[in-house]
Amino acid sequence: MSEGTLCNKIPIQTDEALKILLSDTGGKQYYQEMKSLDVDTRLLWETIGKTCKSRIHTWLKICAHCGMCADSCFLYRINDQDPKQVPAYKIQSTLGEIIRRKGKVDNAFMMMAMETAWAKCTCCNRCGLYCPHGIDVGIMMGYLRGLLYQQGFVPWELKIGAGMHRVYHAQMDVTDDDFTETFIWMAEEYEEDYPGLTVPVDKVGADIMYTVNAREVKHYPEDLAEAAILFHLAGEDWTVPSKGWEQTSLAMFAGDWAACKIQVESVYDAMERLKPKRMIGTECGHAHRATVVEGPYWAGRKDGLPPAESIHYVEWLAEALRTGKLKIDPKKRIKEPVTLQDSCNYVRNHGLKNITREIMSYIVEPGYFIDMAPNREHNYCCGGGGGFNGIGLYREQRNKALITKRDQILDTGAKLVIAPCHNCWDAIRDLEEEYSIGIRWSFLKPLLIGMVEIPEHLKPKE
Amino acid sequence: MFKKILFATSATEACDHAARVAFDMAQRYNAHIDVFHVLGIPTRGYSQVVVDVTTGEEVALDDNYRDLVKEEIRTYYDHQIEKTENWSIDVAIGLPHREILRIARLMKPDIIVMGGSTGASGSYAHKKIVTGSTFQRVAKAARCPVLVINRPAASFWGGFSNVVFATDFSDAAATAFDFSFKLAHTLNCEFHIFHALDITRIQMNNLHTQDYIEDQIRKASQQLRFRYVSRMENFKQYAMAVWEGIPFVEIVKYAREKHADLIVMAHNTHKTEDNDSPLGSVAEQVILRANCPVISINRSVGKK
Repeated sequence: MSEGTLCNKIPIQTDEALKILLSDTGGKQYYQEMKSLDVDTRLLWETIGKTCKSRIHTWLKICAHCGMCADSCFLYRINDQDPKQVPAYKIQSTLGEIIRRKGKVDNAFMMMAMETAWAKCTCCNRCGLYCPHGIDVGIMMGYLRGLLYQQGFVPWELKIGAGMHRVYHAQMDVTDDDFTETFIWMAEEYEEDYPGLTVPVDKVGADIMYTVNAREVKHYPEDLAEAAILFHLAGEDWTVPSKGWEQTSLAMFAGDWAACKIQVESVYDAMERLKPKRMIGTECGHAHRATVVEGPYWAGRKDGLPPAESIHYVEWLAEALRTGKLKIDPKKRIKEPVTLQDSCNYVRNHGLKNITREIMSYIVEPGYFIDMAPNREHNYCCGGGGGFNGIGLYREQRNKALITKRDQILDTGAKLVIAPCHNCWDAIRDLEEEYSIGIRWSFLKPLLIGMVEIPEHLKPKE
Repeated sequence: MFKKILFATSATEACDHAARVAFDMAQRYNAHIDVFHVLGIPTRGYSQVVVDVTTGEEVALDDNYRDLVKEEIRTYYDHQIEKTENWSIDVAIGLPHREILRIARLMKPDIIVMGGSTGASGSYAHKKIVTGSTFQRVAKAARCPVLVINRPAASFWGGFSNVVFATDFSDAAATAFDFSFKLAHTLNCEFHIFHALDITRIQMNNLHTQDYIEDQIRKASQQLRFRYVSRMENFKQYAMAVWEGIPFVEIVKYAREKHADLIVMAHNTHKTEDNDSPLGSVAEQVILRANCPVISINRSVGKK
């Protein structure tokens, strides 16, 4: 059985293995080895037998090949309506074919399936909304990714990403100490402006346990500071866990099911340990999906819910503004054309479409908010979802995929795009880099910091 | 006075004047200088691709690339490093201001030395009207003094001998005084204490009489004596002055008249992007215009 030293069926388990894989710049050797990677057809068929349940079998069988899904897929539309980009085709020609052949597929087939699973679908689930049978190709692509990962056919960056979760319980090499240390550093940096600003670590029984995206710790710690400031100004009783603070899951993008479970359990352990009333995650879409929507099933929780009530940052923010915990200075509301990116993972897939618009009603001067078309649950993926943003091998396809969002934004005429999701934020930044349409993009937190009123007793003494 | 210098550089022409001052300080005061360069900005989410800040190109990062960049920096500063005993080179990935603050927190330098804005390549920042965003962010949050050399430091011949301390009587200015006086005292410099009475704001409300302005000048002079001179004990080589006008203009004029080779002042801006004052703080304007190095000190400096 041909296995590469870098490209193989063994998940990354150690820091050493991570470093070795990382040192293969751009995955050059990794992809070279993949060309001769054998398919363990027996394992593949056995795995399907154990894990492919009736829902997927039914979906694959009842698909009438009607083509209603075609126009729902932004990748089909942007790629000149290539029939090979029709969602039904994409899943039937990969997962459907593997099942029909009882797992007897070869290397070339798996390479094709890998490209389909990661470069022709962002798991945005929009097609599921338009299918007359309710067939969700995004869900099935997620399942296909799991089969591909098990066989070692996974993009280089995602093998690393899943490995990061296994080694660090975070999507990047950020240790637990790095996390608390960075968060405390940020509180120190801003405490002059916000007297009394602290980061309560591991407080048991707090109202809120806050979880983040490791990238904030590594590259944009201002985001942590902004979260702390807004909780502080709202008078919240909050805490962060010293372990189990990472909400995201590149393991989900990679299809590394075991790592998905490891990761989400680390967050649930923190909830069990600290017993917060609620868990609030940062402005990230897939992190919410991984930890709040899908995670309970990965962790085998019978009620399908996380151990503590878990809400998205936008839900907390809307509530804080609605109840007056945070007050906006009317003079500082946004007074320029502004639009909003609906993150597939918590809007289409978790119904939070009205919450973000409620926030807009508080922070944007009436008349300046312009919705994209289509919007809410019908909105298109940013173009970089499902792991697409980070995969070097598919950069060209990803850049093309950004065109849909670019044109949607251009049609609004807005120069500011609010993107309360890391992936969307990245994709929109990249589309500006790639196509220079003259827009700015922002999370909600930095905008809020600039417009909330500071209660008298929390103002710095001059 | 200076044992550890953190020289944050783009390793391009924009930082050449800063390099001259930074290495001169290291050699003259026998300090360790860490040449720190942020080589790339992370991009594409979790990918390993970074945008090289110097070339603007996307590069796949690995140890070889890091070593290559370090070697380039070594070569770029070759003639200065040769004369320096105690030096190191560090590179990092990230947003420049954040990584400068991160390493500063780790190595606790006595001073951070930076160049002017890299801005558009080939154009010197003093030709623009705002300072670089990296400087603004570092100056706001650093816990040590930040020395910036934006223009060719014409009156800097090596070492410090003629220091202007410009005060706005803020808390940060008190810290700036402590630092500048210690520096002047330790290095045996002439010390010029200066306050610029801001008449632009006075004029906006209504036009004051010259008597009123001169009264304000007298009061400011008293403050200089009370707040600073009274704490200088037997130190004699000082002068003090209060001039009225537009503060940054007066500070730059005063420094020029005194042939200052260093200006020390408080940096009081809380925000890095302030729509109300697009030109930034007085300190930022002085940095852009002065022809000597400027040390900016925020209110966090020296705090544990």
